[in-house]
Amino acid sequence: MKALLLSLLLVPALVLAQAPVIEISGANFRPLPLASPAPSVQDGGDKKTAGAFDTAFTYDLTASGIFQVLDRAGFTADAKEGMTAASINFSRWADVGAESLVKVSLAQDGSSLRGEMRLFNVATGHEDLKVAKDAPANEPRKLAHALADALYRHFTREASPFLSRITYVRKAGANRDVYVADWDGMGAQALTRGGTHILPTLSPAGQVAYTSYRKNRPDIYVQSPGGEAKAVVTNGQMATGVAFSPDGRRIAYALAEGESAQIYVAAADGSGAKAITDTPYGLNTSPTWSPDGKRIAFVSNRGGSPQVYVMGADGSGVKRLTFQGNYNQTPDWSPRGDLIAFTARDERNAFDLFTVHVETGKVTRLTQDQGSNEEPTFSPNGRLIMFSTNRNGGAHLWVMTAEGNNQLPLPMEKGHWLTPDWGTAPAAK
Amino acid sequence: MGMGGGKGGGGRTTMSEINVTPMVDVMLVLLIIFMVTAPLIQQGVKVNLPETKATPVEATEKKVVLSIDAGKKVYIGDAEVPLEELETKLAANAKAQADKEVYLHADRDVPYGVVVEVMAAAQRAGIKNVGMITDPSTGGKASNPGNKTPTAGGAKGKSKEAKR
Repeated sequence: MKALLLSLLLVPALVLAQAPVIEISGANFRPLPLASPAPSVQDGGDKKTAGAFDTAFTYDLTASGIFQVLDRAGFTADAKEGMTAASINFSRWADVGAESLVKVSLAQDGSSLRGEMRLFNVATGHEDLKVAKDAPANEPRKLAHALADALYRHFTREASPFLSRITYVRKAGANRDVYVADWDGMGAQALTRGGTHILPTLSPAGQVAYTSYRKNRPDIYVQSPGGEAKAVVTNGQMATGVAFSPDGRRIAYALAEGESAQIYVAAADGSGAKAITDTPYGLNTSPTWSPDGKRIAFVSNRGGSPQVYVMGADGSGVKRLTFQGNYNQTPDWSPRGDLIAFTARDERNAFDLFTVHVETGKVTRLTQDQGSNEEPTFSPNGRLIMFSTNRNGGAHLWVMTAEGNNQLPLPMEKGHWLTPDWGTAPAAK
Repeated sequence: MGMGGGKGGGGRTTMSEINVTPMVDVMLVLLIIFMVTAPLIQQGVKVNLPETKATPVEATEKKVVLSIDAGKKVYIGDAEVPLEELETKLAANAKAQADKEVYLHADRDVPYGVVVEVMAAAQRAGIKNVGMITDPSTGGKASNPGNKTPTAGGAKGKSKEAKR
């Protein structure tokens, strides 16, 4: 009897203690209205550092697709309001439509920057989360990504994309160079300097594989940031479109020979290469691995026009996946496994982005009437898609949700940025 | 608005009518003006409310409440906002923008012009409906001042009466 009474008391208490989880997909999804006032700066902190933190933090929350970050111009709360529940006038936050309130306080101590973040439920006034993190004082953006990640994890129980890395190509004059950067394109490091280096992809260990014309023909190289480029595929006429398997141990790539191009799978160092397609006059390119490493999607024109196909990682069981349009290319398999994003060219010669469901074949359009949009790549948690677009002139990298909502440019300077690839694992921290 | 001189061929005439255009614009563009009686739990500023005979209707959701006190100070909720900032604040207010509706809670001693200015600011901020909060204690049948349940007085047609 006692046990029964105890369980009756405990069960509701446990249920109440669980914080809400945001269900990200589905028809009922609604972004959470979140108020995020500018961080307060304690003694020793400087405004410029706080500004850089604030910009990165706000961008992360806005681009996440799960929050409706409220416009600060509408806020009516006292700017000097404190960080604790007792000092916060919650009705003022409710008046501007906030359901959650996140407050950050920054303090600088010598070369270290400390950020304390508190999250409140506006309706109840309850403090739901309190996190403190440190970063070097000259890297306020890193601190912003770490705190935004903590907030994302609190609401979704999933890793955010904010600590992950991307690689892309910058076109400048005749040169095409490979860079690695934080998820928002900032803090970029060049891997190559001058020449033509294209189609980079990140390995789970943080290495970058790309096609390079160093020896005046396209070969595949692998390189770590700060390390030397190592050639891994140098045979055939043209080796392109390399992709790492999810465990990083194997690579798949396309190798042109004569009038055909075949997909090969090899160990990550290029050894033991084996062709897994065999179409004498067809082109097979752009391989992308399923998250379990058992299947590979690729582009083939064996049916007359470039279409997305799926096969086993040993080349067995080839199945055509796309049937609409006559020019589908650059597939990227979602880390969640269900979708493959790809680029399709329409009759106006514009490129747009779509996803196709691997099992049902259902195609969903993600972009329309906004310039050419190409080269989709999923975030490591599968919730966001990055792509290159010329909608504002030049070529810029943008990000959107996997459903095509909330399309935003990366906060990078203007330039010619191409072929982004999002790593499969978060950066070590 | 060609109001002057219809008859004369060459002579200039003087316009003597009151130009009602700005007021008519404000009144028409605020599509529905209905009355809300005593949603007292929604606001924090004490004002003397006009009394009406309008029939209250139920207001189920909390709305953004604008208040004007006897000193002509304007508030969003309990936060004082300078009149010149009201439009910006409302335009950026997620709740007001989602509802396209606010409640206006003006002291009975506030000049009509100030009320119109606040309504115009709300209209420029994209608010379609302004609910006028009035006090039903001596006027209407629903005489329950201080009622915890917000009630709203309905009927567009009666709004004129309320403002007399």
